[in-house]
Amino acid sequence: MSEELDLMNDELNEIDDSQKGMFMTFQIADECYGIAITFVQEIVGIQSITAVPEIEDYIKGLINIRGKIIPVIDVRVRLKQAPREYTDRTCIIVIDVKSTTVGLIVDEIAGVITVNEKEIILPPSLSQSNSGNSKYVFGLARVENEVKLLLDPEKLIRDEDVDALEDNAPAGEIAEA
Amino acid sequence: MGEDFNTDSMLDMFLYESEQLLETLENTVLEKKDEECFDEQSINEIFRVMHTIKGSSGIMMYENITKVSHKLEDVFYYLRESHPENVPHLELVDHVLEVSDFVTGELEKIKSGDTPDGDESKLVDEIDKFLTKIKTGISQKGDELPPENTYVEPSQFYIAPTESESSKYYKVSIYWRDDTQMCNIRAYTAVYALKEVAEDLQYIPDDIISNEESSDVILEDGFHMLIQCQCSKDDIISAIGETSGMDRVEVNDCSRQEFELGFHEHDEQPIIIELEDKDKEPEKKPVKKEPTPGDYVIKNKEAGKSKKLAKNQPKQQPKQTYISVNVEKLDSLMDMIGELVISEATVLQNPDLKVPGLELSNFQKSASQLSKITTELQDVIMSMRMMPLTNTFQKMNRIVFDVSRKLGKDIELEVIGENTEVDKNIIEHISDPLMHLVRNSVDHGIESKEDRLAAGKNPKGKITLEAKNEGGKVYIIVRDDGKGLNKQALYDKAKKNGLIGNRAMSEFTEKEIYQFITFAGFSTKEQVTEYSGRGVGMDVVVKNIQAVGGNLEIDSVEGGGSEMTMKIPLTLAIINGIVMQVGNSTFVIETNDIKEFVRVSKDMLVKEPDGEEYIMLREECYPFIRLNRRYHLDESKAEIEDGIVVVLEHENKNVCVFIDQLIAEQEIVVKPIPPYIKKVQGLSGCTQLGDGSIALILDIAGLIAGEEKK
Repeated sequence: MSEELDLMNDELNEIDDSQKGMFMTFQIADECYGIAITFVQEIVGIQSITAVPEIEDYIKGLINIRGKIIPVIDVRVRLKQAPREYTDRTCIIVIDVKSTTVGLIVDEIAGVITVNEKEIILPPSLSQSNSGNSKYVFGLARVENEVKLLLDPEKLIRDEDVDALEDNAPAGEIAEA
Repeated sequence: MGEDFNTDSMLDMFLYESEQLLETLENTVLEKKDEECFDEQSINEIFRVMHTIKGSSGIMMYENITKVSHKLEDVFYYLRESHPENVPHLELVDHVLEVSDFVTGELEKIKSGDTPDGDESKLVDEIDKFLTKIKTGISQKGDELPPENTYVEPSQFYIAPTESESSKYYKVSIYWRDDTQMCNIRAYTAVYALKEVAEDLQYIPDDIISNEESSDVILEDGFHMLIQCQCSKDDIISAIGETSGMDRVEVNDCSRQEFELGFHEHDEQPIIIELEDKDKEPEKKPVKKEPTPGDYVIKNKEAGKSKKLAKNQPKQQPKQTYISVNVEKLDSLMDMIGELVISEATVLQNPDLKVPGLELSNFQKSASQLSKITTELQDVIMSMRMMPLTNTFQKMNRIVFDVSRKLGKDIELEVIGENTEVDKNIIEHISDPLMHLVRNSVDHGIESKEDRLAAGKNPKGKITLEAKNEGGKVYIIVRDDGKGLNKQALYDKAKKNGLIGNRAMSEFTEKEIYQFITFAGFSTKEQVTEYSGRGVGMDVVVKNIQAVGGNLEIDSVEGGGSEMTMKIPLTLAIINGIVMQVGNSTFVIETNDIKEFVRVSKDMLVKEPDGEEYIMLREECYPFIRLNRRYHLDESKAEIEDGIVVVLEHENKNVCVFIDQLIAEQEIVVKPIPPYIKKVQGLSGCTQLGDGSIALILDIAGLIAGEEKK
């Protein structure tokens, strides 16, 4: 497992300007999701998470990555799926969205795919009302007969939390001081 | 490439450099503000600063800055080359500070992306006038107006009416009564009166204007003058006679030789510089001196002046060299070192080493060396965030100067322990409160000159700014010798403003009464001045100090002055905390907040029907918080007898918190909870423990507030 991770991280490091159209894909339940690789900082194995009381259920708490303390989100819970026990396949994808660093807990890393921009299909509007997932999905991509749901990381971590975030801004400053 | 000329980095450099230069400038000026004039070194310094600013602002094409700095440079060029006397020093100081303010203001505009459009013409005109004034000041005395950029011979301090053959010489001694104040000023009045009639005049002590202590000397030994004039003894006595408080005046004839010898024999002050100067004094005629380039020694000073300069010459401290580093880099270095310490622990306590019978003596030796280095590394990174208070204190110098001049008070600022080091974050937070305290002292604390004289005090007020390190805290003390706080007035005012209800004065201790001034909406000053008196100051000050975990103590002697002591922690980044466990979560509470730990039996727990709980401890009732219930933590102890109760105290409020168990006391590095997570009441931050796990830091104030809200 850790070798796989190392490989994956190496791959991440090698990616440079040609990142366009590359997506890190991962498995949640039966679906395969993708997230633009430009957001991804690194992938770490699941580790002990410090719970923080009185916060949203999908924020699992805090982890410590080389002295940096970052919050982690359980993508399963965020996508309104039934939670499940973490296994040794469970990974944390550390993403950086507009200088907010967040870890995403996913069931399993699938790999990196390249999607031609033209091949991205917008999600059918019909699904928007009945599926809770779709508001985070900005497009669909078919790769090797499999459909990947491409996630908008900004919506994934913010969306309805915008208010909470704004409330939090001064608090953050105080804490930093 | 050529078009993409990077002005940003140039601009940054310009801003940074100019700010540094202005800071030096201000410091130099304020250091010398109490002297009679600038010495050569500071003139050169100011000249150099202005020259550099002129040059670099020229390159950046900020014309108004260039013009202003050019003008001031002219003034100092003139001062440097011509050594004019009678330069109105305070006026000059004002001009320099005005220029400094102007340039600072323009730099501020540039920084925020605006065009520096301040109007410089008024300032330039004023300085122009000033320059003409000091130049013509010379020409009136018969010296030629020095053309720009040429050396000019030094001029005399005072020039008496011309000598003639029929001149008579007298020795005049004046004695004042023992209780007379400000003899030096009175003596000067006499000198001034005699100047009208005298052809030449010498006096001792000769530093009556610049040195207040001369007043005591005069009281003791009398004030002696040697005078050359055409008039009679009676004329002299009548000229002096207008001075009040005088005990007796003695006028004796003396010879021309005696006069020319000056006070040589009578000179009781064994100061060599003065004696040397005295040797030249008898030849009071203008001495032609050929100034040589680079010869910046001060010429033709009064003896008193040179003595003072010699005394006040700052010891040349070895300049410390600094580089500025982005704080983020420092923070990441600190994180890395924290990580290094943890990695070190995992290596040194690696389970692979625990093989029975393994010979590890060499390994252990290397390991202990490694531990030593990492510990030192940690200390170094901590010290990197520490900065001396020097700059902050120097700013106060300026404030005292500005405010005291506007209020017409004469105040001296003494600074002690300015090299005390404090965390950079804290310095940023105490600068404003400190400024406020100093202003308060100048405005409210120190009385007007008249009041001080009436109270028998030195007319010159004194404010002492002191910093010291004590018991892991930094004490910053602002002390004044002003009128102090009036307890009765404070009490009456607080009562009138409804801040204390109906409690009698005797219910409060002295310190509690002094603390009234920190209440919001309290100001004892009837009149609101530009600087203070709106009553919004002190409570803000206290809030700011509390924000960095400090507090303010006030002490005062009525009529004798007040003392404000800020006690602040050395650093915010590290606190001493107790690590404790509740269920699966780890929490940290700052050691200072903890009063005691107790094991509580069931009968001490009082339960109200609505579920609220209290603890009876030694006949006192404390509110009780179960951390596990408060934060919905699973797998924690429910029975009160199994866990531990921590008694916490914050701002005189007590609260008991129930936890599972204590783990350790240790120094912890405080980190903010990532802003992504919304603020949780009662949590102020988080920290990384030795094993890499994260603990949450409890904020007692928030915890209590949350409890009160319920």
